[in-house]
Amino acid sequence: MTPIVIFICLQSSQGQQKSISGTISDVDGLPLPGVNIVVKGTSLGTLSDFEGRYSINAPEGALLQFSYVGLRTVTATVGANTVINVTMEERSEALEEVVVTGYRTTTRENSSIASQTVSAETIENRPNASVVQTLAGQVAGLEIMTWSGQPGANSTVAIRGYNSINGNIEPLFIIDGTPVDEDNFRSINPQEIASVSVLKDAAATAVYGNRGANGVIVIKTRQGSYNTRLQVKYSGILGFNYLQDNDYNLMDSQEQLTLENMRGLGRGATLTPGEIAAAPTFDWAGFFFRTGLTQNHNVSLSSGGENFTQFTSLGYFDQEGILKNTDLKRFSVRNNTTGKTGNDRFSYGSNMSINYSKSNEPEFIGTDAINHNYVLGAFISPPYITPEEYVDGASLLDPLVISNTPLFLLDKLRTYKRQEEELRIIGSFNASYKLLPQLSAAVIIGADYWNIIRTVAEPPESFNALVFGGAENPTSGFQDQITARELRYNQVTSLNYTNKWRKHSLDITAYIEYFKAHNRFFGYRANGLNPKTFYPGDGDGLLQVRFDQDRQALLFRDRARANIIDMGLFSYFSQADYDYDGRYGFTGTIRRDASFRFAESNRWATFYSVAARWNLHNDVLSKVPEVDLLKIRGSYGTSGNQRILGGVFNGLDLTRNFYATGSGYGGQNAIFLSQIANTTLEWETVAQLNLGVDFEFFERRLRGNIDFYNKKTTDLYQDQPISAINGVTSLRANVGDLSNTGFDFSLNYDLIKSADTGGFNLTLNAVGNFNETRVSNIPTEDGRQLNNDGLRGTRNGGIIREFFLVRYAGVNPANGNLLFYTADGNITENPDADTDRVWLGKNLIPDWQGSFGFNMDYKGFFLTTQFNYVTGIDRLDRNLELVQDPNFIGQQRTSRDLLRAWTPENPITDIPSLDAVNRDAYTSDRYLREADYLRLRFLSIGYDFPKLYLQNTGLTRLRIFGNAENLLTWSKWRGFDPEAQNNDVGNYPTPKILSVGFEIGL
Amino acid sequence: MKISRNTFLLFSLLAGVFSCNDAIEIEQPGRLDANAAFQTVSDLEEGLFGVYAEFDIAPDIAFQSVFTDELAIGIGNGGRGLADYSFILNAGSVAPEVFWVNGYRQLNAANRVIEAAALVEPGEKELGRYNQVLGETFALRAWGHFILLSYFSTDFSDDNALSIINLDFVPTIDQQLLRNTNGETFALIESDLTMAESLLANTASDVTRINKDFITALRARIAAYRQDYTIAAAFSQELTDKYRLANRAEYRAMFRDESDGEVLFKLERTLGDFYDWQSNSGDPMGGGWAGSIFADADATIDGNPYFEMGRSLFNLLDPADIRYDVNVAPSSLIDPDYASNQNPETDVLVIQKYPGSEGRPLMNDLKVFRVSEMYLIRAEAAVAQGNLSQAANLLKILRDARFGTSTPTPDFSDTATAYAAILEERRIELAFEGHRYLDLKRLGTRANRGVQRDPIDCAFNGACFLPADDYRFSLPLPLIEFNANPRLRDQQNPGY
Repeated sequence: MTPIVIFICLQSSQGQQKSISGTISDVDGLPLPGVNIVVKGTSLGTLSDFEGRYSINAPEGALLQFSYVGLRTVTATVGANTVINVTMEERSEALEEVVVTGYRTTTRENSSIASQTVSAETIENRPNASVVQTLAGQVAGLEIMTWSGQPGANSTVAIRGYNSINGNIEPLFIIDGTPVDEDNFRSINPQEIASVSVLKDAAATAVYGNRGANGVIVIKTRQGSYNTRLQVKYSGILGFNYLQDNDYNLMDSQEQLTLENMRGLGRGATLTPGEIAAAPTFDWAGFFFRTGLTQNHNVSLSSGGENFTQFTSLGYFDQEGILKNTDLKRFSVRNNTTGKTGNDRFSYGSNMSINYSKSNEPEFIGTDAINHNYVLGAFISPPYITPEEYVDGASLLDPLVISNTPLFLLDKLRTYKRQEEELRIIGSFNASYKLLPQLSAAVIIGADYWNIIRTVAEPPESFNALVFGGAENPTSGFQDQITARELRYNQVTSLNYTNKWRKHSLDITAYIEYFKAHNRFFGYRANGLNPKTFYPGDGDGLLQVRFDQDRQALLFRDRARANIIDMGLFSYFSQADYDYDGRYGFTGTIRRDASFRFAESNRWATFYSVAARWNLHNDVLSKVPEVDLLKIRGSYGTSGNQRILGGVFNGLDLTRNFYATGSGYGGQNAIFLSQIANTTLEWETVAQLNLGVDFEFFERRLRGNIDFYNKKTTDLYQDQPISAINGVTSLRANVGDLSNTGFDFSLNYDLIKSADTGGFNLTLNAVGNFNETRVSNIPTEDGRQLNNDGLRGTRNGGIIREFFLVRYAGVNPANGNLLFYTADGNITENPDADTDRVWLGKNLIPDWQGSFGFNMDYKGFFLTTQFNYVTGIDRLDRNLELVQDPNFIGQQRTSRDLLRAWTPENPITDIPSLDAVNRDAYTSDRYLREADYLRLRFLSIGYDFPKLYLQNTGLTRLRIFGNAENLLTWSKWRGFDPEAQNNDVGNYPTPKILSVGFEIGL
Repeated sequence: MKISRNTFLLFSLLAGVFSCNDAIEIEQPGRLDANAAFQTVSDLEEGLFGVYAEFDIAPDIAFQSVFTDELAIGIGNGGRGLADYSFILNAGSVAPEVFWVNGYRQLNAANRVIEAAALVEPGEKELGRYNQVLGETFALRAWGHFILLSYFSTDFSDDNALSIINLDFVPTIDQQLLRNTNGETFALIESDLTMAESLLANTASDVTRINKDFITALRARIAAYRQDYTIAAAFSQELTDKYRLANRAEYRAMFRDESDGEVLFKLERTLGDFYDWQSNSGDPMGGGWAGSIFADADATIDGNPYFEMGRSLFNLLDPADIRYDVNVAPSSLIDPDYASNQNPETDVLVIQKYPGSEGRPLMNDLKVFRVSEMYLIRAEAAVAQGNLSQAANLLKILRDARFGTSTPTPDFSDTATAYAAILEERRIELAFEGHRYLDLKRLGTRANRGVQRDPIDCAFNGACFLPADDYRFSLPLPLIEFNANPRLRDQQNPGY
């Protein structure tokens, strides 16, 4: 199809261009520099100079809009006069806060959407590698889940609950108009970011319909300003990262060895009391973890001429993880430019950033592999083993003893290498051309490219290579290298009509969006390394495949891998916006979307949204002085999710039957079934109703918004169980409904507001979200779907991935065995693992979350706090299960909790007998723990040198500050970090970070 | 002029989206459509290799040894396999799901090749190969049905007892089938074997591929399971007449995969194949190298043997018996006073049945049928037919071969003693080959035997004995099937 034709037959008549100039001043008559002047409905604009003067070309009849942060926006119509002088007043500054609504921006007053913008002020200078982590708690309804303390680790993001059970739940991220990979922010320099807007309701996300079902996060990077001299800014930050400790109450060597001796297990079995008393207690947590150092340097240069602006930024970030062998080094460059023609009919902008990062990131973190997971080693290593016992990898084989866990890991720390290098380029270009005074055409082209090279090497002399290569295959070991590249290309072409007559204004835009993404991958695994010449990443030590006569076998077989995946989306849509006299407004969107993923019949889908607002402060309340702004708005709309399995490059063609070729019996080529088709797959649809109030009262001292929402996802992507006779036991299908109901609020109150510059100001703030999820219409006989993990499931009327387990009832005082409840609530030692499971109403997803805090400043000193809170999370504490497991006595460190285990003399206790016969028999909720927390997520204290002091220094700005992340946490959770919302064992906890820094401007 | 300039500008802006089909009609490379999968006889043969690859008896070895008295918890166990070892078995357990799901994956794969073959017209020169491929596939389908039946049927000798779901077609995803009876399943198996027999070539030297001996051996085993001893005796004798037992050297080499010895059929396991990986979960979900069911690194005391040989089995092994050398690693620590010392560190019995091959520790071919099993089936049939002295002679032939010298002829006073002796001989001869659980199930009551562990091996959990008539000798239908096929709940095996 060719949906372009409508653009061709355009009229060419245009209004007469005039050069308009004037002076802008405040109510006191003082000139206002830096006021943004735009010709409304276009992207043409300029800034006032130091004397408050401006000049701009605009056709007669056009509207000029004058805006400045903190001042009320003024609009003027270009008439016969070529001079327009403007006075701007301060009264309701935030009314005019720029609101991002998809591809355009509007003012807060004229916006009908639910969104929240975070400015650079609360993002910059924080020592997190990923900007996403910094956003945690700052936006109502935005959930940031960070599972790992790896520098730059990915976070999972959700807005207002989970819209999907198995499909994608993460919002769309847009940087300067380019949709980007939502899982990879380690390469993006947070210091370059000017603002982050979170779009929540259907009206806000409608223009991103084919990817906006989970909300949209629009990131804008900094830009230069027209007619501004060169400004140079440097900031430097030094940070220290610490482990947040656990509360597992682990044994020291004397306790551990005494217990082993009592049980006749492990090293302690044969030691005398004297030898036990003399054993050292080694701190393995202190061995595998460290105090990491963070350095962050940034230089930015921005300037602008009459028709050109530029912003350039250079950044270097270096963070050592708290876990040894983990780090991230990043170098980033950004260059943003804008320009326009003298007559302002054509304008463009280009944004380009190049980022290179290098990181060490061990594998198998979060698993129970004792020869791989350092985190596990940090707390289950027997304390009586010391690093001095390590000789080399080979000596650990003879004998192979599990209690040598710390030495296996020490060996891995010394020998194993896993490094990723990443090059990431994000570029976008936008241009708009004014065809007529009311009609303009625009295009935004963006591309996100990354290339990751990963090297993993297990040298031949390492314990892990020896233990699996064995004596039969002495020069084993392997090197694995891959390179993965991805390009995402997006293009939006639009035609905009805007007009204003009497009290009416109308804005209509038609869009065409084209999206294509390409993923490429190749790599090899070379088995067999020569220890004399091997170096990780280098090929000199790679051994050739050879046939071994003695064993009649091929040794050192290598493996090559490669993959090509493409995906694409196509949409056309239109949005109309109408305003009457600043009092009422309506917005509507309709769109058609096609995804490459669905069978022919379900490929296209239609989505829409409608929104309305009523500005009471301009209408019935216009005479009430206490009310600066009061707006009621409502929206309803639908949007689609086509990521069936969650990942962008997964579930590409599930509507077809496939066979595959590969290694079959005896390594011979084989053909086998690889996929059974579901020919009925279609878009998962989210419909959202939103009702909100924006308000500003008492000269803006109290301001904020409250939103109620009700979202309903239909045709959920879920695994429909099918009989095993098909060779698989489930098939991805559109099954069931899901609703998320809740509310967001965001409040700010200026408790103390000084009239003077440098006076004492104290602002309190709070954001919060309450969300409730309900699943319905699961079309199985019993209305439930069970997860393959054997722990959780989803049922009609329940929450997502609800724990479904046998309930643990405690310890039988008679014999020390574990007691459980049957489904009916009776107590038994032998519950039925199937029928005695019950729905526990608990899951890993929060009910309440948000933050509160205050900002204080006085004569340049400032203090900011942000307390994050999360409630309603329950997690399995797998680490606690490990250290309380009597089976591991003699092999690993255990908790002192075991000292109060049941014995005939100690019958009333919470720890079963160490010999309880049913101790491994049942999966129960015994280790399900509440992981709610309150955390001092962020604390910042600093001093801004007043301009007065800087007068003769050549500096325009000097600021010093100290920050703390995760300084204090209150939680019942006994593990390292309550924040990681999963059930894994031995996960990498997020660190506590203390940092100091300064910022200077020239 | 202006119109054309604007038009040109617009065209250049929009050039990139001239066709949206480019974005939404994407054919991923490397995809093989169902109708293109099997077009030639070679394709069918590759399909057959895919069916073979679904067959694995490592889960059988794991479950049957852990659940019974073949092994004991090793020093470095770390909690692996404890549920099975403690006789805990229910619809949510790993074993029933593994055997059910794997079994139907095998049958589904076989059915796809059989149905595809109907659409392939072999040329004259290809007809032999075509028949061979099809014959092997039918035989695999028969074997797959039998494995499933053997775990889920409660009574092999009752043709009216519930069996499994017969599957001789490619099902559609909405089908929810119920269990057939044993009689129906055995009929399907026999018809497949007859078909296979008619298609397979007469000569075949490769014991890693199905041949007519496989069919005879399977028929003998099935008949023994059904207690149809006339047939069992006939088929087993056919093979004992045709092949001799391995001598001691051949026996040792056979388990190192250095020679085929007396193997009638085995599943090939080689470097880089589907099963070339470490299975160390301690439960039948594993797969992977057969030896890694018992040890992490290799079959020596240094390889972290997380399961060791059960003391009650070890006590049956005579050091003069080659089966002692094959099953017990020389690096084992043997404490004659283990019962009084009670120290697991001084008595470490390392299982060596799967020492590794091709340079890969713990990886060995999986022996499915050996000549010795045919002797044991013949002996069992002789007892059933009241011929106790013939049974005793057959056991003597087997023992003579294993000891390399003449052994005394056993003296059976009654059938129970004879069955017990055969069960014990099977326990030694077929140790860790995936037989013990099913042997106890079908012979235990007749032999008056059950799972019997040495007290040292079960002191920690009290799971020392399980009588052969316990309901747990039939697996429960797995929960995972009920999710899709809830009516099957009514056909759950008794006890669960």
